[in-house]
Amino acid sequence: MRQERTLFGGCARIEPMSPKRLEDMYDAVIVGAGAAGLSAALGLLRSPAIAELTEQGVSPKILVVSKLQPLRSHTGSAEGGIAASLGNIENDDWHWHYYDTIKGGDWLVDQDAAKLLAEYAPETVINLERQGVAFSRTEDGHIAQRRFGGHTRDFGGEPVKRAAYAADRIGHQILHTLWQQCVAQGVEFAEEWYVTDLVLSEDGERAAGIVALDTHTGKLHAIHARNVLIATGGAGRLFHTTSNSWDLTGDGMALALSAGLQLEDIEFVQFHPTGLAHTGILLSEAARAEGGILRNADGEAFMERYAPEHKDLAARDVVSRSIMAEIDAGRGVADPKDPDGPKDCVWLDMTGIDSDRMKQALPQVVETIEQYANLDPAKDPVPIKPTAHYTMGGIPITTDGEVYRWCDGASHVVEGLFAAGECSCVSVHGANRLGGNSLLDACLFGTRAGRALAARIAAAPVASPMNDDADDEPLAAAVDRTASMRQDDFTSMLQGALESSADAEASPVSDGNAYQLMAKLGSIMEQALAVRCSADTIRTALYQLDTAIKPAAETLHAHDKTATFNQEITAIWEVRHLIELAESVLKASDAREESRGSMRRLDFPQRDDERFLAHSMVARNGAVAFKPVTITDYPPQSREY
Amino acid sequence: MAEANTTTVTLHVHRFTPRAERAENARGGSPFARKSSPFGGGASASARRRPRGRQWVQEYTIPARPEDTVLDCLLTIKRTLDPTLAFRYSCGHGMCGSDAVAINGTPTLLCTAAIRDWAKQPGTLPQVDDEGFRHVGNGDDENTSVEGAQAADAKTQSLGVIELAPLPGFPPQRDLIADIDPMLDQIRKLTPYLQADGVLATTAEGKVDAFEYLQHPEQLAKYETLSNCIACGVCEGSCPVFAGGDAFIGPAALVWASRFINDSRDSKAMERMDAIDTADGVAACQSVRACSRHCPRGIDVGEEMWQIVAKVRER
Repeated sequence: MRQERTLFGGCARIEPMSPKRLEDMYDAVIVGAGAAGLSAALGLLRSPAIAELTEQGVSPKILVVSKLQPLRSHTGSAEGGIAASLGNIENDDWHWHYYDTIKGGDWLVDQDAAKLLAEYAPETVINLERQGVAFSRTEDGHIAQRRFGGHTRDFGGEPVKRAAYAADRIGHQILHTLWQQCVAQGVEFAEEWYVTDLVLSEDGERAAGIVALDTHTGKLHAIHARNVLIATGGAGRLFHTTSNSWDLTGDGMALALSAGLQLEDIEFVQFHPTGLAHTGILLSEAARAEGGILRNADGEAFMERYAPEHKDLAARDVVSRSIMAEIDAGRGVADPKDPDGPKDCVWLDMTGIDSDRMKQALPQVVETIEQYANLDPAKDPVPIKPTAHYTMGGIPITTDGEVYRWCDGASHVVEGLFAAGECSCVSVHGANRLGGNSLLDACLFGTRAGRALAARIAAAPVASPMNDDADDEPLAAAVDRTASMRQDDFTSMLQGALESSADAEASPVSDGNAYQLMAKLGSIMEQALAVRCSADTIRTALYQLDTAIKPAAETLHAHDKTATFNQEITAIWEVRHLIELAESVLKASDAREESRGSMRRLDFPQRDDERFLAHSMVARNGAVAFKPVTITDYPPQSREY
Repeated sequence: MAEANTTTVTLHVHRFTPRAERAENARGGSPFARKSSPFGGGASASARRRPRGRQWVQEYTIPARPEDTVLDCLLTIKRTLDPTLAFRYSCGHGMCGSDAVAINGTPTLLCTAAIRDWAKQPGTLPQVDDEGFRHVGNGDDENTSVEGAQAADAKTQSLGVIELAPLPGFPPQRDLIADIDPMLDQIRKLTPYLQADGVLATTAEGKVDAFEYLQHPEQLAKYETLSNCIACGVCEGSCPVFAGGDAFIGPAALVWASRFINDSRDSKAMERMDAIDTADGVAACQSVRACSRHCPRGIDVGEEMWQIVAKVRER
């Protein structure tokens, strides 16, 4: 717990949200403070192994490093719900949830992981409630649940009310509750520190630590750690139209690639069907669960044609592709804000929802529409288009959160390296994620990773009097070497500011900047991969990446030499991370010559189980290997909604 | 987007660059001079309160539409004019709480502030009218700003001017970034986490019938709005007591305390009320209610302050 020193007059001393002094060696460093990172911290600290250690007077040295203040994490934007077969409204069974998750993922789901997800979902949700989440309630006081796309009873039958919700602010509730519990546990944070490097031991077999920039002081730090957990979230900023916050630049995934690791199934990016036109801001699926209907330019409720059974609540990729098909057929509409613009939207018609119910169940959706579209959803149709929402793939992990490499047909765990949440891939989402499963994944597998970390820490804690730190030396040396190279990079980017200000010809526009480049990259990726792609679109994007984007990224430098709060420096590293990731996404997309889940190859329109019922594993050099899917209970079937 | 625009907006941004650390170190030639004070961080603490550096107001004129947000404009500036301008932002739609600043002197979020509501025509600056009132023509007075904008459209195509400064009441760190850690520290001091009794609900027969704590919708309604606080600091920057620099735990920490006091699951209401029943706690609130005006989560902070003050007194 942070020491609070009281000065005369009762005014408490104000400490910065940064460690006063870094430890020489940490038991664990957790990177990221959203649902996954905070769940891991709590899972770790509350585990029996750590409790026992603390009783012996040995306290674990844990640090949570986050590029945002934790309460700003993107978890807070999740609106709709968290799935669990609580059966509070109607009869439900976790086996049905298990099946729905596999089917939703188009059978590219590792069934051992999905089984854990469904089986322990009720426990996860109840634990969140008992920690303080203000769930909406049934009349008799239980956690309320609503329908969500793809969640059914009897293995693909009628829709079932499985998503536990807190109005339409479930993410905010979960994020704040987890942070509050971390305050109770005295978790130490390094806030607004940006991680530039993930460092492994020289042989690449062990985690050694991280290098991070304290953006407040503008100082780089080598942080030595026997265990590192990456929980940095997704990469929606690969695309121009995205529901993701400006910070979701795929940092953790890029760090893993740079450290010589692979990414699994990274070609699968979910486009949420209902992004508010031309902002990308998400309108929760709850809007359709509560009775909102998609309509084309003719006013037709077109989802009846594409998914006769589930209609507007079919899986997200089905709805996104149906919307694109309507737009391609000339039945799209223009954003009323830009009536002469392209007809690349369709209507979301919420006028059939009772207006009191709308205010009670969808306050956030209504507010977003009023605020950013200047429309009244009770009266006006709302223009929407698919928006990049979730990366199903990520850093490959076991069901205990351990990061592994796939080589020579076998998994090799990297000792002491863990990941959780959207940046990871335990493969519960397969080729497409069901609504309500992302918060569940982050909380459940985050907690599991935390417990696995605890077991490793308890076996050899840094603070133990018996500690033999001889093994730590090569790890610390590896981190220090990387930090020193990063310092040169940092210094030269700041130096660039001096040179460019000396050159009267150069302006922030003419010599380029990270913000501009990020926008350019987003447009290229959107044209190449959004909702559909083909070998041609991928080739074009790779060419643009090589000829325009990468050369521009190499010459980026800051335009101001002051190191403190120099956001441009962070933005340069972010865009470099995005570029690294973009290349892997394109290479993995190219290698998968089939259509499955969120991925629609125009040149390979069919699912191809013969060749591609397998996880792609892409490395930094673009090499793609395939790993078999774990299938234990439900053999692949066709996926129809 | 930018090409299609025929209107512009001008932003006056209060900028600040802290003095580079190198310069501070250079002052002390002797290695002894770098040692911190034996009386504990005196020099660095006061430096944090009164940051030294370069301050200036920078003017940017960019293409913009009336419905664009001020955040849209600042991002356009970063891309096309000046990548060095520093401001916090993340989700871009009023949920993360990171982008509270003062717009035309009023604390609010960059991402929820539309140009049409905040741009002012030069010459419509506060004037005293015949009755002696000062008309400020802010966002609440929609007609004034819209008419002004249209009139300008025909001639200059400018939607007007917006002034931006860091959130009042907190030490500025760089440009529009202020140090809001004091608020988070105050929130953390009041044990901001659920402390329930741990007892499971049972049926009439004594069987456990739910593993979650039961809470009826009307019990939820007592604190649900309070639980939506995103800790952005807008209420604190609006509070003349807090932003004025007096000792006050601040409206945000009190909203968080009230959130738990009103949660039927929490068993520490009395202790929580004791903790805020101090001179710098509820007693410091002057019921100005400026805190309610721009809460992005729609919390009537002033009313909630009133309620919690009454509750503390009644106990």
